[in-house]
Amino acid sequence: MARTALRPGVLLLVGLTLALGLLGALPWLRLGSDPVWGRIQAGGRWRVGMDPSFPPFEFLDASGQMVGLDVDLAQALGQAWGVETELVAIGFDSLVDAVEAHRVDAALSGLTFDPRRTRDVRHSIPYFDAGIRLAVAADSPIQALSEIADGCVAVEWGSGGDAVARRLLRQSETPPFQVQAFPSPEAALEALATGVCVGVLMDTVSLRLAQAEGAPIRLLDPPLESEPYVVVLPLEARTLQAEVDRLLERFGQDGTLARLEARWFGAFVDGLSGD
Amino acid sequence: MSRWAFLSRRAPRPSPTAVHRALGKGPFRRGPSVEEKARDESPDPVGVDVVRSPQWSRRYRALGGLALASLFLAGLLWLYRPEDALGPGRTVRTVNPKMGVHTRLTDEVEPWKIRRTMAMVREMGAPWIVEYFPWAYYEPSPGRYLWDHPDLVIQAAVREGLTVIARLGMVPEWARPQGTSELYLDPERYEEFGRFAAAFARRYRGQVNYVILWNEPNLSLEWGWRPVDPGEYTAMLRVVYPMLKEANPEVQVLAGALAPTLAPPGSEWGMNDLDYLQGMYDAGAAPYFDLLAVHVYGWRFGPDEPPDPQVVNFRRVELLREVMERNGDRDKEVAITEAGWNDHPRWTRAVRPGERIRYTLRAYEIARTEWPWVRSLSMWVFRFPWDQKSYQDFYTFVDTDFEPKPIYLEVQRYARGEDIDGAWPEQP
Repeated sequence: MARTALRPGVLLLVGLTLALGLLGALPWLRLGSDPVWGRIQAGGRWRVGMDPSFPPFEFLDASGQMVGLDVDLAQALGQAWGVETELVAIGFDSLVDAVEAHRVDAALSGLTFDPRRTRDVRHSIPYFDAGIRLAVAADSPIQALSEIADGCVAVEWGSGGDAVARRLLRQSETPPFQVQAFPSPEAALEALATGVCVGVLMDTVSLRLAQAEGAPIRLLDPPLESEPYVVVLPLEARTLQAEVDRLLERFGQDGTLARLEARWFGAFVDGLSGD
Repeated sequence: MSRWAFLSRRAPRPSPTAVHRALGKGPFRRGPSVEEKARDESPDPVGVDVVRSPQWSRRYRALGGLALASLFLAGLLWLYRPEDALGPGRTVRTVNPKMGVHTRLTDEVEPWKIRRTMAMVREMGAPWIVEYFPWAYYEPSPGRYLWDHPDLVIQAAVREGLTVIARLGMVPEWARPQGTSELYLDPERYEEFGRFAAAFARRYRGQVNYVILWNEPNLSLEWGWRPVDPGEYTAMLRVVYPMLKEANPEVQVLAGALAPTLAPPGSEWGMNDLDYLQGMYDAGAAPYFDLLAVHVYGWRFGPDEPPDPQVVNFRRVELLREVMERNGDRDKEVAITEAGWNDHPRWTRAVRPGERIRYTLRAYEIARTEWPWVRSLSMWVFRFPWDQKSYQDFYTFVDTDFEPKPIYLEVQRYARGEDIDGAWPEQP
C-alpha cells in the first residue's frame, strides 16, 4: 500500500531532479558549442588581428611581413592547437571592435584589460606586464625604491614614470627620493648610465628595449603600476578563452614566454639577478 | 518599552472611551483587551498617574511617525541641497585670462565628480570651459525639458568662477527622420532647435553667455552623414541666431567650430575648413554670429610651425583669421574651442609627453601675447568620465579618477606665474 502511494511522488521527484540537472548543465552544454572554437577547429585556421606599428610586439620587417613578439605568440598558440595562424592588420583603435564584430577570432596586439568591455569581449590572462618599473644600474646594490635615499630618480618629463614619481612624492610626508625630469626616455636613461641619477622610472617596454640595445640596467620587480597585456576574444568564445588561458599558463611555466621575450628584447635582467 | 513611549507619557486627559470603560457604561461596554490590560497594569516609569487611552496612544504614535518622517525628509533635503554643497563662490587665479579647457561632463552622472572637475579646472588656472549640452538629452519630447543635469554642470562652473561656452547639438529622436543619425538636423527642424537653444539661453541668462551652434559642420559625420553645405549651415544660423538673441540679448553666438581638415574638393567626408568658412560668408553668415569658434590641433607639429593651407597645425587659425578679415569681419573675435596635442605611445599623430607639455604651454602663451583677436583657447580635453581605451585618453589632463597628469601640474605652474622657461628640462 505504502509503496504504491509513494510511486507518483518518487517519479515526480526524479523528474524534477532531472529537469533541474538539465537546467544547470545548460552553460556547460553551451561551453561545448563555442562557435568560434568550432570554426577554428573546422577550418584549421585562426584569424588574429594586430596593428603592426608597435615594435617589438608587432611591426613590419624589410619584406613587409608582420613580425614580433605578439606574432610569435599567436603562432605558438595556433601551433599548439594544430591550426594555421592568419594575421590580419587592423588599426589599433579598431582592434576590439573587430573582435566584437567577428572579423577576427582574437586581437593580440599589446592590448590591455578593459573592465568596461567585459560585457562585449573576453580577456585572457596576462602574458606581459608593460607597467612602470624602477630600473637601476646593473651593478647597483639597490633592490627597492625605498633604498634610494640621497640619489635622484630620472623620469621622462610628462610620462607615466613622471606621473608615478609625482604621485609617490605627493603621498609621502618626507620625500623618499629626488626626481629629475628629462625631455626624452633616452636622456633619462643616459642620466642613469652617467651616474647623474641612481634609478629611472619608466614603462617596461622602453626599459626592455633599452636592455635589448645593451643598456647595463636592471629592472626591479614588481612594477609600481601594472599594465598587463592580454588577448582579446569574442564574448561567446568560452572554449577558446579557456584554451588560450591554459596555453599562456603553460607557456609561462615551460619558459616559452621568457624565450619569446628574450628573442625580441634580449635577456631580462631583473632585481634578483644580482643576488 | 517602546523608544517613543515618552510621547504618550504626557497624556493628561482621559478619552471618552476610557471614561466609559471606567464607569462601565456607554456604547462600548466591552472588557479591556489583553494588551490594554497589561499596559494599564504596568507601573508608570516616572510615577505619573496617567490614564492611558489606546486612541490617544495611536494619535501620539501617529504624531511621532509624522515627526520622524519630517526629520527624514529634512535629512534628505540637507543631503541634496544643491546650493550649499557647492560652497562659496570662487575666482580663478591665472596669469593668462585666455586659458581654457574642454570638459566632458555630458555623461558624468555623479554630482561630486562634476563639482570636482570644475574645482580642478579652477585650480589649474583656466578661467574658460567649453562643455557639450546635447539637445537630445535635455528635450526628450517636444517642449518637455530636463534641466537637472545642465543645472548641476553650470552651477558648479559658475561657482568656481569659470566662464562657460555651451556647445549645443545632437538631435532628439522625435526631431529627425527615422533611421538618420543623431547629428542629422533637418532644415524643417531648425525652428525646434532654435526653440531649445532659446530655452537654454533664457534659463541660463547671466550664467552662460556663450553658445556654440553645432559642432564641426564641415565634416559629413557631424552633419548627419550628408554632404556638408556651408549654405545650409548658414540657413540654420539665420533661423536660430535671432531666437537666441531674443531669449537673451547678452548671449554671444559662436558659429563654426570647424574641424581642421584638408579634405579635397568634392570629398564625401568633409570640406576644407578654409573653404567652408568662405562658403559661410558667401552664403551671408556674417550677421548671424558674434564669434567664430575654431578647432586647431597640432598633430606632430609644434605651435610655432608656420601656417600653411596644405598642413593641419596649430597656427592654421591664422589662415581662418585671414578669411574673416578678407570678408570684412575683422572686428569679430575667435574662440578656439578645441585644440591640443596627444601623447599616446602608439598613435601616429602623437608627440612625446614632454613635447605635449611644452607645446601646450607655448600655445597658451601665443594666444595671450600674439593673438589679440583670440578671446579664449580651450584645450581638448580635461577628463573623461571613463577611460576611452584609445588615443583619446592621451589628450586628458587628469585621469578618470582625478589623478592629475604631469601636464596638469605644469599648466598649473604656468598659470601661477612660475618660470615657464625653466619648465622644460634640458638634456643632461
